[in-house]
Amino acid sequence: MKKLKQNAPAIPILIWISLLVGMPLMFVVVLSFLSRDSLGNIVFRFTLENYKRIFDPVYLRVFLNSFILAVLTGLITLLIGYPVAYFTTKLQPKKRSFVIMLIILPFWISSLLRTYGWIILLGKTGLINSLLMQLNIVKEPLNMMYRFGTTLVGMAYMLIPFMIIAVYNSVDKLDKSLVEASYDLGASRWKTFLNITLPLTIPGIAGGFTLVFIPSLGMFFVSDLLGGGRTIFLGNLINTLVTRGRNRPLAAAFSVGMIVLVLLVLFIYNRVAKDKGEGLF
Amino acid sequence: MTKFKGILPILLAVVLIFVFTACGQSKDSGQINLMTWGGDFIPREIIDEFESETGIKVNYKEVTSNEDMQSLLEANPDQYDLAVVTDYMVDILRQNGMLEVLDQSKLSNFSNINPVYQGNYYDENNEYSIPYAVSTSFLLVNPEAIADLGADPITGYSDLWQEELKDSIVVVDWSVEVMGIVLKSLGYEYNETDPEIVEEAKQKLFELADNIMRFETNTPEDSLINREAVVGFMYSNQAVKGKKADDKLEPVFPREGMPIFIDSFVMSKQAPNKDKAYTFLNFILQPEIAARIADITKFTTPNKAAEEYVSEEYKNNPMLNIPDEVAENTSFYINVADVLEMYEHIYSEFKMR
Amino acid sequence: MNARAGRFRTFYLSLFFVALYVPVLSVILYSFNESSSTAHWAGFTLNWYRQLFNDRVIAEAFKISIQVAVLTSVLSAIIGTATAIIAMYVTKKMKKAINGIMLLPLLVPEVALGISLLIFFSALKLPFGHLTLVLSHSLFCVPYVYIMVQLRLNDIDFSILEAAKDLGAARWQIIRTIILPLVAPSILTASLLALAISLDDVIISTYMSGAASTTLPVHVFSMMRVGVTPKVNALCTLILVGTFFIVGLGQLINKKANKKEAF
Repeated sequence: MKKLKQNAPAIPILIWISLLVGMPLMFVVVLSFLSRDSLGNIVFRFTLENYKRIFDPVYLRVFLNSFILAVLTGLITLLIGYPVAYFTTKLQPKKRSFVIMLIILPFWISSLLRTYGWIILLGKTGLINSLLMQLNIVKEPLNMMYRFGTTLVGMAYMLIPFMIIAVYNSVDKLDKSLVEASYDLGASRWKTFLNITLPLTIPGIAGGFTLVFIPSLGMFFVSDLLGGGRTIFLGNLINTLVTRGRNRPLAAAFSVGMIVLVLLVLFIYNRVAKDKGEGLF
Repeated sequence: MTKFKGILPILLAVVLIFVFTACGQSKDSGQINLMTWGGDFIPREIIDEFESETGIKVNYKEVTSNEDMQSLLEANPDQYDLAVVTDYMVDILRQNGMLEVLDQSKLSNFSNINPVYQGNYYDENNEYSIPYAVSTSFLLVNPEAIADLGADPITGYSDLWQEELKDSIVVVDWSVEVMGIVLKSLGYEYNETDPEIVEEAKQKLFELADNIMRFETNTPEDSLINREAVVGFMYSNQAVKGKKADDKLEPVFPREGMPIFIDSFVMSKQAPNKDKAYTFLNFILQPEIAARIADITKFTTPNKAAEEYVSEEYKNNPMLNIPDEVAENTSFYINVADVLEMYEHIYSEFKMR
Repeated sequence: MNARAGRFRTFYLSLFFVALYVPVLSVILYSFNESSSTAHWAGFTLNWYRQLFNDRVIAEAFKISIQVAVLTSVLSAIIGTATAIIAMYVTKKMKKAINGIMLLPLLVPEVALGISLLIFFSALKLPFGHLTLVLSHSLFCVPYVYIMVQLRLNDIDFSILEAAKDLGAARWQIIRTIILPLVAPSILTASLLALAISLDDVIISTYMSGAASTTLPVHVFSMMRVGVTPKVNALCTLILVGTFFIVGLGQLINKKANKKEAF
């Protein structure tokens, strides 16, 4: 009874989310077992066909491909974003808020346009190539578009603020006395960072990674525009299947597959983190 | 927190002004709810003119795909009066019983529509749809660059397989269209389901892999303008734009034939403002209006009577004013679920190699 | 702090900001491009700005987007923070449940969420428009706020809370005087992020906006069939310049206020 009272305030929130997200989730799961007719309308006939299909080697490669892209996006945003967050906390408090504001600002304009911004930069007649040719550094324009790397750059660019803000929140609240103590004991700056700061900010890293990893599985137009549509990622496939492919049951099965993939990653992370007592989720 | 104190009130103030100027819309002479692609697909200036002429307000809901329109219409059939959807979607919506049978007696201007664009498979008796915009897809090429590469001039799809064209083709990113190119080059028709023919097409498609540098649906013409590509398979309105930006580019209507798309007005069976919707349709069907729409949107007008009002630019442009012999050599993608599934899998395999 | 480390810090941050802003600056640059294509530069023009000011649709879409984004970020800030604080007090099991459920909105693909909510809200006969947009946007903004705030709450010094409790402070008093000030910065940054997420959402907004309301991103994406014009670049330029102006003004006022305090 005491427990119930203790948990009571959380109930409305759980109901709200369970209703509005849980219901679509159920919808997706049920849909993934249904069939559809030649018009693309959903038919209430149970089938495992959709799941059989996602285990097709071609589609498994799509999963692998997306997984790799998402992990790499997470790692790149971490490598670039961590120092940004860390250095920002070292600034004077007044400058800090300004820097954070500067980091978030570009994300208030349409992501589609920001992606076009990269095309303007990296294209064959783009700004970088024009500059390099003007300066006679290269004779022929460099071929920077429509590669896996271009997609990766675009994805990291779209999602990096989540990583930075998550890490920033976690570094910022760090107990300064621990760092001071480490210095007092004669540890170098680098050692202090490795032994004190980094381990204590792992929850921030994990939070940031989650907020980057999951959305990057679902993003679709970045790889279409920057990657030249030369490979397929889960986000594109699900989106195509729902719209022009008109195969919603199969799209649902892919969505379930994607959710399972994410849960698997979180589960593994939790296992690893638990040993260190840092489990976030 | 103090560090934010300065910014916050100002931000809030500016933003709240926006928020509170939100409410309050007048609804005098009634309104109609219209749904289709955005931008100038139905030009705003035409809508403005309609509104000031009739006093009927047009709510223009913008969407990105036919399927979005289907979902929205099927969820709330009583919220939309009119939609403009592509041929195959007319077929789906009418078979699903979503569409109103149009009352021809209320459509005084329907006779303006070119018979060539009437009575197609998706609406044999012109009961449900009124053609609004016609587009095709074909090849836009850069003849000079092709000669420079040492390749033969391009007259049809089968020329795309030349080794010299390595990494220099851009195509629309959609399995059905790419398979369509291959099927046509082999002498078959679109929407082929015979497994043997599809398998043959698949092998042929894989041979094309090295030549394609980019799959792009929205701005394929850009790749020709900036010289990344020498050939592009794209929609007519994109080719028109490409040609306008760069006069060296030339359209090629493939000798094997090409796909055609007819975007048509349809009315929801439960449309709340049917009479006003008819007023709007009649307005759009006027030859002068249809001609202006064609000039703005760069889509071919199905309105025969409009042809005397269109600009010289339109008249002299074979991409818009499609020659009859070209128009005869077009066919529809039917987009049947089984075809889609088969093609989508092949396409995925093609890309994931 | 030695000088070399300080210089490296400045160097790294500057480099980062160059990379962050160069694509945005290209967008701004091409709002002055005479050609409507991003493939080449055809000369300088102010034409797109002229067209922008005559375009009531884009203005309307922008207005709706801002309204929805602000309401969303306020609502998600409240719900997200409340949940994070509530999560401090519940049982361990419950906290795990909350943590799990908070990730759900990020997991379900947007298309699926959009279509299901469309069917659900239609069945409830909710009017599509601001209400449905804010409700659905908050759904996937709340988790961001929750995670960000929670990161700061994670190892809050419980001895302070205990001490306050021993001194007879009521729970809401503790929350108001100790916890909220502590997490205020993360609430603020998280709501700024929520604002960005809401301002950028296309898929869910397509399904959630009513017959008469289109948000800016939906407007932009729906243009793709006919072609996205640099008008949109022009609008983004104005948005950025506007926000910078406001931020700058805020900084200035801040400085003045601080000076006054000093006296």
